[in-house]
Amino acid sequence: MELQAVLMAAGGGSRMMDLTYNTRKPLLPVGNKPLIWYPLNLLERVGFEEVIVITTKEVQKMISTDPKMKLDVKMKLDIVCIQEDADMGTADALRHIQQKIKTDILVVSCDLITDAALHEVVDLFRAHNATLSMLMSKAHEFTETVPGQKGKKKTGEQRDFVGVDGTGKRLLFMANEADLDKGLVIRKSIMRKLPRMHIKTGLVDAHLYCLKKSVVDFLADNKSVSSIRGELVPYLVRKQFSKSMTSPNVNDEADQKLKKKDGNANLEIQILSRDEVLLQLTRERSCWNDHRGDMSEAYHGVRLRCYVHIMDEGMCYRVNTLAAYIEANRLAPKLFDEPAVHPSAAISVRCLIGADSIIGASCQISDKASIKRSMIGASTTVREKVKVTNSIIMHGVTIEEGCNIQGSVICSNTVIGRGADIKYCLVGSAQRIEPEAERTNEVIVGTDQLMEI
Amino acid sequence: PHPSTGGGGIAPLTEQEEEEQPLQAVLVADSFNRRFFPISKDQPRALLPLGNVAMIDYTLEFLTSTGVQETFVFCCWMSNKIKDHLLKSKWCRPTSPNVVHIITSDLYRSLGDVLRDVDAKNLVRNDFILVYGDVVSNIDVSQALQEHRHRRKVDKNISVMTMVFKESSPGHKSRCEEDDVIVAMDSKSKRVLHYQKTQGLKKLQFPMNIFQHGSDEFEIRHDLLDCHISICSPQVAELFTDNFDYQTRNDFVRGILVNEEILGNQIHLYVTQDGYGARVSNLQMYDSVSSDMVRRWVYPLTPEANFTDQQGQGCTHSRHNVYRGAEVSLGHGSQMEENVLIGRDTSIGANCHISNSVIGNNCTIGDNVVLDRAHMWNNVHISSNVEIHQSVVCDGAVVKEAVHLNKQCVLAYNVVIGPNLSLPDGTVVSMHHPEEEEEDDDDEFLSDDQEVGHSKDKTRQKAFNPAEVGPEGKGYIWKASMNDTEDEELAQCLWGLVLNPDPESDSESEASEESQDRSRSVSPEIDDVNAFQLEVLGTLQRGLEENIVCDNLVLEINSLKYAYNITLKEVMQILTRVVLEYPFQQQGTQLTTLQYTGSLLPLLKTWSPVFKNYIKRAQDHLDCLSAVEELFLEQDTHQTAMVKVLMKMYQLEILEEEAILKWFSTGATNDKSRQLRKNQGKQRMSLQRKESEEDESSEEGE
Repeated sequence: MELQAVLMAAGGGSRMMDLTYNTRKPLLPVGNKPLIWYPLNLLERVGFEEVIVITTKEVQKMISTDPKMKLDVKMKLDIVCIQEDADMGTADALRHIQQKIKTDILVVSCDLITDAALHEVVDLFRAHNATLSMLMSKAHEFTETVPGQKGKKKTGEQRDFVGVDGTGKRLLFMANEADLDKGLVIRKSIMRKLPRMHIKTGLVDAHLYCLKKSVVDFLADNKSVSSIRGELVPYLVRKQFSKSMTSPNVNDEADQKLKKKDGNANLEIQILSRDEVLLQLTRERSCWNDHRGDMSEAYHGVRLRCYVHIMDEGMCYRVNTLAAYIEANRLAPKLFDEPAVHPSAAISVRCLIGADSIIGASCQISDKASIKRSMIGASTTVREKVKVTNSIIMHGVTIEEGCNIQGSVICSNTVIGRGADIKYCLVGSAQRIEPEAERTNEVIVGTDQLMEI
Repeated sequence: PHPSTGGGGIAPLTEQEEEEQPLQAVLVADSFNRRFFPISKDQPRALLPLGNVAMIDYTLEFLTSTGVQETFVFCCWMSNKIKDHLLKSKWCRPTSPNVVHIITSDLYRSLGDVLRDVDAKNLVRNDFILVYGDVVSNIDVSQALQEHRHRRKVDKNISVMTMVFKESSPGHKSRCEEDDVIVAMDSKSKRVLHYQKTQGLKKLQFPMNIFQHGSDEFEIRHDLLDCHISICSPQVAELFTDNFDYQTRNDFVRGILVNEEILGNQIHLYVTQDGYGARVSNLQMYDSVSSDMVRRWVYPLTPEANFTDQQGQGCTHSRHNVYRGAEVSLGHGSQMEENVLIGRDTSIGANCHISNSVIGNNCTIGDNVVLDRAHMWNNVHISSNVEIHQSVVCDGAVVKEAVHLNKQCVLAYNVVIGPNLSLPDGTVVSMHHPEEEEEDDDDEFLSDDQEVGHSKDKTRQKAFNPAEVGPEGKGYIWKASMNDTEDEELAQCLWGLVLNPDPESDSESEASEESQDRSRSVSPEIDDVNAFQLEVLGTLQRGLEENIVCDNLVLEINSLKYAYNITLKEVMQILTRVVLEYPFQQQGTQLTTLQYTGSLLPLLKTWSPVFKNYIKRAQDHLDCLSAVEELFLEQDTHQTAMVKVLMKMYQLEILEEEAILKWFSTGATNDKSRQLRKNQGKQRMSLQRKESEEDESSEEGE
């Protein structure tokens, strides 16, 4: 086994609270499948047979009991639960499962929906004996209107600056605009070694990382690092260019411990794997080099290397906002070829269902209903003369006669009263919309949910 | 007439018109610096031979081959020589495809002056190529020109300049360390966003606003060699006129980039991968370019091509890049190993060993001579048993028996060296006395263009030092002036910086840098107050050296005050501090208290008018006192001197008695200062009392 897969599925979905209030993020239905299915499927497609899933008790329970959440994957899932209120970051979670990690790892986030060729990332990892390789993609513009959001979203968001070398593979620099108040500062020594740096903005980090096992060991010794994306990756990227042994204060002690343990000098992050000696020899004897222009050895003798694969085309979404969720629902069905209408759904002959819609199991669609570009969850009842356009209807929803639903998200177990007209709304779960209601651009959630905000 | 290819009839017509306009170039045959002194005292830089051809010929050949039809050559320093050279050359023949106009003036002090003159005389009508007379290149700029024109057509004259760069990795020998640049550019539009010389920098800083132009892909490039070839719009000349403070192209580029939002002008770049282009900006570059030339990197401009079309300049090219001119005689057992160019009528003795060298016309070389990376110009005489490594020997120089020239030596025109002498690394010998040069130095504008004639009379004819140039030697040693400020040292340094960037030292500092990164501490920038302090120190120092009247010092300090936006209170505090620290500054911190007071008290007397100018109100007195206190708190070994200082200041009527007493009685702000007062309080009190009593009595006496 070359790589162990780790799926991070304990996130709360804090950026789309309205959606995740009742349904945990990993279980949000996308194309009538729970979100977590997508990364699992991705792993399965490339041949993983086992995956460690880090998640919460609640999600585990739902997966194992609720038939709607049944993950139809053949891989062996090793589910590790962490406490929800422990406020653990992704790096904390890795530290938590350190005992299970025997090889290098592939970490995937549960909100990743992509058709990326995973081997590109892994190949970089292999080819350069990298410490870290990751996946990024060009950011997509979200075209759909987002319910409850007035006007266009502010574009003044802070951009991430990603610096890669001339080949576009080696990751040299990573910072958020917010941290660059003094301007972008690069050491000249880096520019001397790698004289051509591309600085890219407008990339999405897919949160998919190949990491050396030594990094997990490093985490075990450095309790202060709690997030992979926020702390570990920037740290590794920065570390590429410091040959110095003196470590920053954070891991002074850990470093000392490591040194004692091994007596080796370069153990800040122990990247020397066992075959490093052979590799070294190979590199010396071959004429291969990763760069040209100066006469120095490959990688300039740098042992810690970070790489990134940037997708030029294809689909790569992180479902962590409402807009991304809607977009993913629109595109996700293209990822699998199952019948759009579940065989167990009871569909009247006299209704109109667009080819780009999905109907879940045990649905009831009555006469003269019209469903276009929408997703209808399992056990949902759609009565006569209902029009559903561009919407996401989750499980167990009842839509009474003559409703018109457009561009909205209706969460599970909600009942929409007769003749209601709902446009661009987000309706929380187990809500009851009165008949003949006319709602536009609203977020309709229960009062308990409002209290919390 | 062409058949119209459809579309609007007007657009292609203007294009055609534009094509028909002859391509113009501005060639600046002056460097406006003294990097080649003392060589360029006798010959302007543009005429120095490189591969036995004057450098300006390479530049003109480059311009002609790239399609330039009209060239304006601007000369200043020794313009007559350049003019004579050009008039004799093929460029001034009636058949020349490139019409050369020579414009001379002694008033040009910089590239800015030249371009302002271009504007005043209205010489250019269209995009033109701007180039120096020491650029060697074979780049075909027509592609760059096309891009430039296209941009100007699309964007309505927003792009004013396209700079031509050659791709070349850092550390490449044809990269001039002092000319190393870092460029931030927009990947798609090739627009220059940031342009900075990197010499002496550890960290490269890019302001964030350059990344806010809507593009999402940028490139930071350090693999570019500035060829000093620029394609300019006619506006460039106008912009130089509008901004009279632009002196160099660097000023211009920075000005355009910084004021991009105001002026709306942009600069683009063009990168060539396979062309060759370099500017001979110092001897290091001369050495590199010359060897590239011999190794045929500048093809088709090769030594045997005789592109200047001069009679007798032809030579043959044989393997290992050995070129021999006409009538070259080579003695028995002599070897020309590789990359050797020998001019016509040169004779070489027996058992010589020559490699990587260029030898000019009419040279004679004795037996058993070793030449490696030597650049010998015309009419040089080398006796037997001489060894020369990486050195330049100018026209008419004579090297006698058994002389050894180590690396980076320069023998300027007509120098005689030896016999039996070894010159250490970096020796520069010239027939001009260095003193004569220093007299010219008064002129603030450093330029090759100094009238040497008038100072010649003044030159005290000193005898040649046989220890320096040998018993039969003629010439004076030029020393790189070390006592000057760094900038001037640079300007003096012929060979340029031979920086061997030490990667180890780099990484050593990384640790500290990293921790700095982490703690986000402020980089050690000199803030205004510190800068002001340094300036005040400099002013006072100069005042002392040159005996400047105190009134003028006050004027200068006042102007500094406005320049750095310093409050009056700070001025006084800094002034006090600078004066009190002055002895330490001059004589080191190891002074004893006695020495300290001994040197300080006269200074106080000299500068008392300056103090009086700033210390007027009662509050000023107190501020001054607190500054004194602060300093002596730092210099705690010299605390005893404080009494004397205060007394002197009192005697000089800088400080008033009441102020001193008030300061003494007001509570000390911290433990240390309390300690200070306590230590000397009594003593001082009594002294002061005595002083004041004495004073009073003396006043009464008067």
